[in-house]
Amino acid sequence: MTGSQTSGAARPIVSMERIQKSFGENRVLSDVSLVVERGETHALLGENGAGKSTLMKVLIGVYSADSGRIVLDGEDVTGLSLRERVDRGVAMIFQELSVLPNLSVAENLFVLREPRSLGWRVDMRRMIADARALIERYGFELDAAARAGDLGFAQRQMVEILKALSRGAKLLVMDEPTSSLTAREEETLFTIVDQLKASGIGVVYISHRMADVLRLSDRISIVKDGRLIGPLLPGETSIAHIASLMSRPAEGEDAPSRIKAEPPKSVAIAPRAGAPALSVTGLSTAHKLSNIAFEIAAGEIVGLGGLVGSGRSTLAKAIFGLIPDVSGAIAVAGRPIQLGIVPHAVEAKIGLVPEDRRREGLVGNRSLAENFALTNLAGLSLGHGFGPMATGRIASLFARYRSDLSLMCRGPQQVAQELSGGNQQKVVFAKWLATSPRVLILDEPTSGVDINAKRDMRDLIKRKAAEGVGVLLISSELEELMELSDRILVVAGGRIARTLERIEDEAHLRTLLQIDADRRAEFHEKEGAA
Amino acid sequence: MTTLASPARGSLANFARDHITYGIFALITLYFIVFAPNFASLATASAVLRITAIVSVMAIGMTFVIVSGEIDLSVGSVASFAGMAVAMLYDSGAPTFVAPVAVIAMGALIGAVSGLLVTKARIPSFLVTLGMLSIFSGLALTVTDTRPIPILDDTFSAIFWNGSFLGMQAPIMWTLALTAIGYYMLHQLPFGRRVFATGGNPVAARFSGVRTDGVKIAAFVISGVTASLAGMMLAARSTAGNPSLGAGLELDVIAAVIIGGTSLFGGYGSIVGSVIGAIFIGILGFGLLVIGLSTSIQEVVKGAIIILAVSLNRR
Repeated sequence: MTGSQTSGAARPIVSMERIQKSFGENRVLSDVSLVVERGETHALLGENGAGKSTLMKVLIGVYSADSGRIVLDGEDVTGLSLRERVDRGVAMIFQELSVLPNLSVAENLFVLREPRSLGWRVDMRRMIADARALIERYGFELDAAARAGDLGFAQRQMVEILKALSRGAKLLVMDEPTSSLTAREEETLFTIVDQLKASGIGVVYISHRMADVLRLSDRISIVKDGRLIGPLLPGETSIAHIASLMSRPAEGEDAPSRIKAEPPKSVAIAPRAGAPALSVTGLSTAHKLSNIAFEIAAGEIVGLGGLVGSGRSTLAKAIFGLIPDVSGAIAVAGRPIQLGIVPHAVEAKIGLVPEDRRREGLVGNRSLAENFALTNLAGLSLGHGFGPMATGRIASLFARYRSDLSLMCRGPQQVAQELSGGNQQKVVFAKWLATSPRVLILDEPTSGVDINAKRDMRDLIKRKAAEGVGVLLISSELEELMELSDRILVVAGGRIARTLERIEDEAHLRTLLQIDADRRAEFHEKEGAA
Repeated sequence: MTTLASPARGSLANFARDHITYGIFALITLYFIVFAPNFASLATASAVLRITAIVSVMAIGMTFVIVSGEIDLSVGSVASFAGMAVAMLYDSGAPTFVAPVAVIAMGALIGAVSGLLVTKARIPSFLVTLGMLSIFSGLALTVTDTRPIPILDDTFSAIFWNGSFLGMQAPIMWTLALTAIGYYMLHQLPFGRRVFATGGNPVAARFSGVRTDGVKIAAFVISGVTASLAGMMLAARSTAGNPSLGAGLELDVIAAVIIGGTSLFGGYGSIVGSVIGAIFIGILGFGLLVIGLSTSIQEVVKGAIIILAVSLNRR
């Protein structure tokens, strides 16, 4: 073992050489070469659909390359299966985490290789002890006996990472690891990545968040139209430069400059005529929200700030009628609506772009046209719901939104789950825009979409507000929250902790969110003690 | 990425996969035409369609339930019970046209109860309808102490089985009419879109304003209606209500729906497919009979072919 180690020090963990991959006539990867060194964090950037996922699937062995070579730690693994590569130390931490929620952390870590006693009986005690030792070795904050389903996203990620490490992983591929983490959890993850680096493990880090990438990675490669650009060194590049490398050539020349955070708007909301688009008074739910009250004027964008778990998404769902036990009152354009029933909210012209678009936003196995029409079935059928669907009208309306949102798809009959994240999100937007909403509730509308789709989406939100739609925007990206919102309500512990009309900068906002969250937690502790 | 993955190649592969059962169907029919005497005749065709009608009618209702992501195991015993009920209604002097309407209403009610138990009491449909299967096969046997009741009303028998309409035998007419109605409801009306969305992703459907509970209840009501219709067709065929007429039919019905390309997990399916699936099972049974296999061996061969067809058609 140790004999070959001397020459191995300089040897990269993995090198992919001149990889080509086509699906049918569609060339997805052409002549891509990627090298990840020992202890290197190599960031992989690219728009949705550029070929990042395909490249990674070729790397871990889900797809086999049409030509090219993959060398893992000195060994040619090109012809090996996924299974064989995993045995040789390749591991992918998936975006949709594959932790088994019904099992404990320890059980998850030792799935399929549980320690045995008497030859066949699973030795639970030893398993937990082994798990604790493992957790300690890498210095994670994790309870080996906890049920994985009860953990937050960051801790589930830790379980995934530990599982890979305990199986001797040398190379970890992390796909959008921060997309569902809170600010604090992100810090933990970054520390973990640094630890991995220190222990000589190679990391391929896929992300849409430029700031994270610049801060974390040793080198940056960009996938664009199936080719690889780079690697770049983070010290020698900037967000604007990367964005310009990634962006579609057909798009406008001012693309890179637009993604820079605009200075926060100095807010001076002129009193608007008429009833507010949305007014919420005394809204409470059994478990989470207490006495929420606010208004959104027509054409106003109100941001909801707060940490994950503060009650922002619950508030969105409560307004939209997804939570049955609510008290209080909600009115749209001055007209009160019945609480707790989604069809009533839809009828009142509220639309919700939910946080989890795969689970909540789209019916994955049905066509885009069907998903698009789902919010307005009565309006898009003859005889207002009693006659057949007006397929022609659906098609022409779909075509309009397709070009309006620059949605990339094969056509209205394409199945929704085949689209990339950003395009899926555009379909979710389109299905609500087609209802001509008065109020749009957007829960993390740009999470997990690439930088150009993100820009499209933000422009769209501004445009809709300009047309008079009242927008409630939830976003964990503070820069986005500041760029778009006229006002920001900070939610903490199920209450509105403060209203911000003017914010200095992102750091200031981040501090305020944390302060409010801590204050609420403290308050609850005191209440509990009393 | 997946978007780029399958333009031209995908549609062709999809087409082949979607229609492979029809290929098997054609091959088996061809086999019977070559090896079974007089198989390719109008008489055979109409005999098969007649035999198939009952399963077809139930499969149309079942398609709504399965596409919505649920299952209805009770259709066979609901059919038995409906046959008994209509016979008893005539026995107690109900007018010709009142009895069937009452029985259909009863079928709808049974479906509604199943649907409410599934959606509001949150009991899995497998268990609810397994219970219903037991309840109604038991009731069908109890009401008359397991004795059949003869039906003397000739108009009833004519409408549901023996007669013909526009030169077509009644059971074939029923199949056609219900196929058309089912097709219109599932593939044309907004209601159908809700059924597909509910089965495809109930959460996203709810987030889009679909009342998924209502959609499921409606699907069970439709299945209850088609099961009671099929029960009356069975009763008309034997001009009697017999408590075990529909026993075991649910298996053929579910097999027909799945062979027809409907996903057992919901969200994907077709009415015409289900009817073709039913006809496939009919041809298989009839052909094996004509070839001269014993009934017990027939069942074995039929089961094996159904498994083969379904495994090739899996979604």
